[in-house]
Amino acid sequence: MRKFLIIFLLSFTFAQDDLLSFLEDEQFVPLPIQGTFKATRIVNAQSVELPRSKTLEFIITHRFGTMSNGFYDLYGLDEASARFDLSYGFNEKISLGAGRSSHKKTYDFFSKIKLFSQKSTPSLSFASIVLFSKVEIATIAKNENFNNRLIYDFQLLLARKVNQNLSIQIIPTLIHKNLIQRFEAKNNLFSIGLGSRIKLTKRVSLNGDTFFPLGGRGRYVGFTQSWGLGCDIDTGGHVFQLIITNAQGTYESAYIEEANGTLKGGDVFFGFNITRSFNFN
Amino acid sequence: MIKLLILIFLSFPVFGKNLYFTRSGSVSFFSSTLIEDIKAKNDQVTCVLDAESGQASFRIPIRGFTFKNALMQEHFNENYLESEKYPNASFSGFIEGWKDTKFNAIPTPIMISGEMTIHGIKQKIKENGTIQMKNNKIYGNATFNLFVADYGVEIPKIVRENIAKSLSIDIELILKKK
Repeated sequence: MRKFLIIFLLSFTFAQDDLLSFLEDEQFVPLPIQGTFKATRIVNAQSVELPRSKTLEFIITHRFGTMSNGFYDLYGLDEASARFDLSYGFNEKISLGAGRSSHKKTYDFFSKIKLFSQKSTPSLSFASIVLFSKVEIATIAKNENFNNRLIYDFQLLLARKVNQNLSIQIIPTLIHKNLIQRFEAKNNLFSIGLGSRIKLTKRVSLNGDTFFPLGGRGRYVGFTQSWGLGCDIDTGGHVFQLIITNAQGTYESAYIEEANGTLKGGDVFFGFNITRSFNFN
Repeated sequence: MIKLLILIFLSFPVFGKNLYFTRSGSVSFFSSTLIEDIKAKNDQVTCVLDAESGQASFRIPIRGFTFKNALMQEHFNENYLESEKYPNASFSGFIEGWKDTKFNAIPTPIMISGEMTIHGIKQKIKENGTIQMKNNKIYGNATFNLFVADYGVEIPKIVRENIAKSLSIDIELILKKK
């Protein structure tokens, strides 16, 4: 009955000469949400963003050495670990890429598939879902069976742009290593990642991500939980990400499972990601 | 029963008027500078015209604009029009001298005036257009310019040479009787 009364009252306001109130009654076409993150990386972690359609994206990720040596090596600036990363967005839903990291001289090939986009209407479309998979080939050891060089990464990237200024992401992760060094470690390593972005201005944001291991990592493996803090600066054509993290490698198995820095004594790494897009439309 | 009543109440004022409408009108804008041309199109314009009084309203979902360059589209939404905060642009006004406007198959020039709201800022506008009636449908057309600065859209220095201060707007509507 109350509902009826409300509608009754509403219909009165409706009867006024405002045509836009008639428009309010029209159904909205749900449109996909854009810009959950500025770049395809949050800090270390992959974000739900793909290279845009018909766009080639070139990323340089660079981590300096540990800051713990202080002025001796200018807080790690004498050392470097770099990665070149090229990926192409075939459309809004599929991208393929390849990269090469100096960390363990690793080559990798990866794909991102957008399964679902967060939409502008509330209802069920509250999050974007992306499947990320990658195969890594470590070539640092000279005489090694090819199969033993391989590591596979699978991630489900679940992200929601809560509002214009806040985005959050959850990242269930499986890393499969074909070869493991010590008997305590496992081939399949599960973890859950968390990432977030807080926009400070239209073009500057604070980002963070971390990965929580699920299940033991073995006594002798020496596992440290990885984390990264960054600041995105969008200049229009480039996105610069200035980063402090405890992992030096910037591919999945390296930053999730092989982080080794601790804040104690400043044993962390300064670095940056630079993203540049080339449009072929 | 209640549903029926609701329907009756809702439909009363609507059927009381001689309304024409569309949900798929198109609007495009064009920015031309020495450095580059930028063009975007939107086919999701909702428009209502009251054929008795000559009143017209339309609403444009900002996210519905598509650009050739997807990065531009994102910047348009995120940095310039702030579509999260201001999801729609809208216009509400009337066609001047409506009573004397003749409907026929030949485009007739009209003058439309009212309030345009873009990026949360309201501006009075008065622009030329044409209108024609064909197969029981009203065809509306308007081409005009508007200044980016009038609607509080900031353009950073670094791209100031790439984006025109005045954009050319083109609106095409085909309205069907409600």
